[in-house]
Amino acid sequence: MAEEHLKRELGLLQATMMGLGGAICAGVFVTLGYAASLAGTALLIAMILCGIINLFTMLSYAELGAAIPSAGGEYTFAKASFGGFISFVTGWFEWISNMFYAAFSAVGFAYMVSYAIQASKMPLIASVSVIAVVTVVVFTIINIKGVKETGRTETALVVVLLGILGVFTFWGLLTGQRTGPLQLSAPGDFLGLLRASAFIFVVYLGGEAIAVAQAEIKDPGRTIPRAILLTSLALIAIYTSVAYVVFRIVPPEELAVKESPLAYVAEQFMGPLGVGIVTVAGSIAALSSVNTAIMAQSRVSYALARDGYFPRVFFKIHKDFGTPCLAIVAGAVLIAATAATGVVNFVAYATDFGFIVGFIFVNLSLIRLRMRKPNLRRPFRVPLYPLPPVLGIVTSALLMLFIEPSTLLIGIELFILGLIVYCIRMVRYYRICLAVGGMNFGVSGFCALLAFIIVSDPLAISMPHPMALVSLGAAVFVSLAYFIAGLLSITEDKGR
Amino acid sequence: MGKVRKTISLLIGGIQCGLGVLASVFAYLVYADSWMRGLLAVTSEELYISMFLLLVFGIFSVFSGLLLVNKER
Repeated sequence: MAEEHLKRELGLLQATMMGLGGAICAGVFVTLGYAASLAGTALLIAMILCGIINLFTMLSYAELGAAIPSAGGEYTFAKASFGGFISFVTGWFEWISNMFYAAFSAVGFAYMVSYAIQASKMPLIASVSVIAVVTVVVFTIINIKGVKETGRTETALVVVLLGILGVFTFWGLLTGQRTGPLQLSAPGDFLGLLRASAFIFVVYLGGEAIAVAQAEIKDPGRTIPRAILLTSLALIAIYTSVAYVVFRIVPPEELAVKESPLAYVAEQFMGPLGVGIVTVAGSIAALSSVNTAIMAQSRVSYALARDGYFPRVFFKIHKDFGTPCLAIVAGAVLIAATAATGVVNFVAYATDFGFIVGFIFVNLSLIRLRMRKPNLRRPFRVPLYPLPPVLGIVTSALLMLFIEPSTLLIGIELFILGLIVYCIRMVRYYRICLAVGGMNFGVSGFCALLAFIIVSDPLAISMPHPMALVSLGAAVFVSLAYFIAGLLSITEDKGR
Repeated sequence: MGKVRKTISLLIGGIQCGLGVLASVFAYLVYADSWMRGLLAVTSEELYISMFLLLVFGIFSVFSGLLLVNKER
């Protein structure tokens, strides 16, 4: 099946809105407080610094997106330059991080809705998990209907969001309670500024959704670089102006203890209306992120299926809607399941790790492709090459050092899971059966040992007698079942 | 012989899938339900390793079960 089946229906406006909607998530509304406690008013510098770091990598996205406008974004770039396992790992992290990003945003939206309902003293008719799952279902339907619908929805959401942020900024500037110029100060010195930058960088992630949808963008050679650069510059302008207004109204030390710093600031100069407006903006930001991430994950799994890493059914395009509906639905089921558990911390850490890994591989892909295919048609070329991609790699690697250790642990676990998936797809079926059979024998042996300990020395496992009997029964049952499973896995039916 | 093997494979595969799903649900309950943690005497230090082991067992069981079922189809 040729990839031309995906329809090129997104123009410059829709592509840019997709990038902005992917990046401006609900996190912006809550991360400012802690970041301000680290960097003080110098957070403004951190915002610009992060924007520039983001721009280095976005330039790589722009060049590669214009040169190789196929579905899959980072995965497609890594495949063109490295191929094999490296490209799979890039696609794997891209897919996982977009799925978790959608789940994280859906849970964020659900929390905001339930908070607003409780604040207005109305009865809460559904739990946070139910609201999150319903949100995922609604945006899954929109995504299945067509990329045009996805783009229109995204444009509408982002226009409203930008309007609200615009009102916040101008109102804040006009009624700033402090007079005179803003004094920049960093309580944690340069290290504090770096830590704040690492913490706040997440607000720039997500703009690369444009690259993931590049197979559906009209005139990709011109539109993709423009949309990516417009998104990157607009993000710097939006975040810096919002942070500037925040510090004109409230000193940074006051923000650190606030759960929703932006709502607190808005309340100072807009009254209760400000809290309402910021809550609505946060909800819209979360919704636009859900929309973009559902689209992005499906295009990555579509591309992975195209190359045989994922089941072939994900490569099927709906004949009426022109979307990879099975890839959308399969991802949406996993997103809904993750959102329903409400495990927000895990999801947020996994998202950050996946996006940063993607950044590193995109920059590496650019360098390798320039060396291997110097004559490839490139409608856009990164200026000052090789400085931007090298700086992009270095800064992304530095970010890894400053992120939470648990993020790295989760990243390693996800890598192992990816490795298993890769082996399953690439290693021959009989060898997988042998390996699984061996593992079954291992589980069986372990359970048999457990049963033996319970029988021979009950004191070694301090539990009441009835509980010990149940445990013994369970251990024997599992041991037998897994032993038989092991035998069945390693042997073939001779009669067939 | 083939029919017996097929029946046993489907049965054991089904049991493995069921055990895997149970282990995964159990991992979630250990994470989300403090009553369950108290019942099993899982401390906060042991929480993540318990969840990890249960999830690994769960995923492996489901995978092994599906492999058996698929092999005999």
